[in-house]
This record gives sequence, C-alpha cells and structure tokens, in this order.
Amino acid sequence: MLVRFWGTRGSLPVAQQADQISGKVARALVAADGRKFANEAEALAFVKSDLEFSTGATFGGATSCVEIEGADEAFIVCDMGSGLREFGLNAGRRCAAGHARLYHVFLSHLHWDHIMGMPFFGPGFDPGATIVIHSGHPDAEQALRRQQEEISFPVPFDWLRAKFEFITHELGKPFLADGVTVTLIRQHHSHDSYGYRFERDGRSVIYSTDSEHKLDDMESEGAFEAFFANADLVICDTMYSLGDSVSLKQDWGHSSNIVAVDLCRAGGAKRLALFHHEPTYSDRDIARMHAETVRYEELVREDRPPLEVICAYDGLEVAI
Amino acid sequence: MNWALRKSGARLVAEPSGRVDETTWEQFSECLISAVRDASAAGVPLVVDLAGLDYMSSRGLRALTMAKREAGDAVKISLAAPNDRMREILAISRYDKLFEIVDDVGPDV
Repeated sequence: MLVRFWGTRGSLPVAQQADQISGKVARALVAADGRKFANEAEALAFVKSDLEFSTGATFGGATSCVEIEGADEAFIVCDMGSGLREFGLNAGRRCAAGHARLYHVFLSHLHWDHIMGMPFFGPGFDPGATIVIHSGHPDAEQALRRQQEEISFPVPFDWLRAKFEFITHELGKPFLADGVTVTLIRQHHSHDSYGYRFERDGRSVIYSTDSEHKLDDMESEGAFEAFFANADLVICDTMYSLGDSVSLKQDWGHSSNIVAVDLCRAGGAKRLALFHHEPTYSDRDIARMHAETVRYEELVREDRPPLEVICAYDGLEVAI
Repeated sequence: MNWALRKSGARLVAEPSGRVDETTWEQFSECLISAVRDASAAGVPLVVDLAGLDYMSSRGLRALTMAKREAGDAVKISLAAPNDRMREILAISRYDKLFEIVDDVGPDV
C-alpha cells in the first residue's frame, strides 16, 4: 500500500503570504553562508539535505484529502477537501496512461472543509468515470448536492457527467472495496464523524480525523485503541495541544497530538501521521509541534517498541 | 501508582508516585477528586507533589483537568516539584499554562 497526502490542513485552506516566503528565502541564504551553487539541481540538493523542512518547503495548505493505493484497480480517496483538486488532476493523467476510472471515496463527515474540493474535481466531469461515495452519514448526497446549488456554485451537481453511487455503511460491518477491507468507527464531532480502517494483505492504514476524545469519556477510548490495533499507519487529527483541547477549544471536535500518541501506543500501532493541522499555524509552528510530539513519545515510551511519529504534508508519500 | 495525602499546615498535599498512564489513571483520578473534596471541605488549597512521579501520560493530565473542574473556585490546585521528564510533558501539553507549577512543595506552614 502507498499513502499519498493531497491535503493535510484543518478547517480552512491556507496559502503562504509574501512575507512568509521572503522569510524562508532569507533563512536559506543565511544557512548557505556564502556558498555557491553551479546550477539549480545543486541548490535543490542543498535545500533538501541542509535546510529544515519548514524553511526549504511547506506543509501545505489544502484541506483533507488522502489517497491510499492498494485496491485491485480503483482509486481510494479519503475526504474531498480542497486537496481533491490536485488529486483529480493527477488522477486524470494516470487514467490517460491506462488507470481504471473508478473512484472509491470515503467521507469522514460532511463539513465544508471535507467536501469543498468536489465542485473542482475533474473526474466528476468524465462520463467514463464511476465515483462511489462511501459514508456513515445517510445525508452525504444531500451535502454534496447542496454545496453546488446556484446560491453557492454555478455548476449544479446534476451537470456532472460521472456515474455517482452513494453507499451508507453500518458500524461494525466490514466490507470490501475493490479488494480492500474497510471498517468504520463513529467519532465524536458535530453531526458525527467516522474513522476508517483499511486492510489488505496483512497491512493496515487508519484514517481518523475530526475526532474529539472527550475528557469525561476516557473509558470509551478502548474502542479507538482496538480500532488502531497494530496498524502500520494511523493518520490522526492532531489539531491542538492537549491544553487547548480541554480548555478554550473544548467541544470544537478535535484532538491533540499527545492523545494521538497515547492511543497509538496503547493499540500497538507502528507509525502515527500528524494530520489536520491548525490553519493559523505557520510551517515553523507545525514543525515545532512535530518535534514536541516526537519528544513526548520518547518520554512515555518506557520499554515498549518505538512509535514513529511523522508529520503529514501536502505531497507526502508513505509506503506501507 | 501509589497515593498518599497529608495535611501540611493550612493546605493538603497529595503525593502520587510511580506513573500515571492508561492502566493507572482511573485510580489517580479517583484519589485526586477525593482530595479536592477534602480540601474543599476544609477550605484549604491542594498541592499535588509530583516529586515521586516518574511521568504522567495524557490520561493523567486530563484527570488533573477534571479535578480542577471539581475544584471550581473553592480549591486552588497547584503542582509542585515535577522531575525533568514531567516538566517537559507539562510544557509539551501546554498544561504549564493551565496550572501553577512550583519548584518545590515548601515547608509546612
């Protein structure tokens, strides 16, 4: 399996402002310390090897969209945030090279940042494409149609040319999607959200975003530890610090980096991907949060196997 | 995890030891809530002496928040003498912004 992140930001798409880019260039020049580069390739090698990620790159600003390669022939996509647009363009090129025009889309929930990419999803206009929308919500079709009504968008849903199918799944009933076994779990979030476990050939990936683990319901976390059990990769909502999630941002429907570590540790997961980054965070803020999470895992590890903590960014690929 | 509670002048001092994680947080939480109620009844603040604690995971930290809610305005809770590991955890979690943290418990008064 291969996991490809197309959108990793929470709540709202963000873009770098001019002074942020200028700051990155300035820090890179300081780091170069007068060094000369023969060509762009040599300079790029320096950027990748010597600069911090937050200086030489960016975590990106598209909202939730994650592709999981590993089905028989279909695309598997989690959520239709603004990252879906780039995925659609890329998928179109792969289809032109012979990839099946079949898409299995799994929606965590129906909030705007998780469906806003749909009106800009190129394959939606492909009459040869089949798009299957999987959800725990019976009102998924209503949500997608509503955002393309005239008051919000000029192209109504009915103008799309792909064949659409909507499937509402029940909890606790694993099902097959083009060779991949999929299981849902209900999560605490406004209007509910659903986490997904994808399994094939002994490998497993969890997609669990927009999931608040309530202070007064810690007993229920055993269900998430079981859902995450022995997963090769857990993609987890880590939008806030724990302190924020139990104070100012309580009931906002999101989790923290250190609760994610503890759930993964208890479940015996191998790797955690920090996801759904706070939109007000700069690249340096996200990098600091990542470093702190790695450190927290070290502090509480004891004699257990290490949990690898990675930080998702738009464009990241993770082989499972 | 082990737990002790003692009266120290005009305050209660809780002394958890060992570690608070997914296996011990419920016991820690129950003891802590009970101590808050004792402190409220006595009209004194509660100091949680962390000196004997190896570390606390997110469940222990969240138990501290529940205790703070139980305390309301009636009982002031402070955390004392965290070891280096615990001090880092309090900073990473931003709990150092939610609780007063002091370097030592101080003398009985």
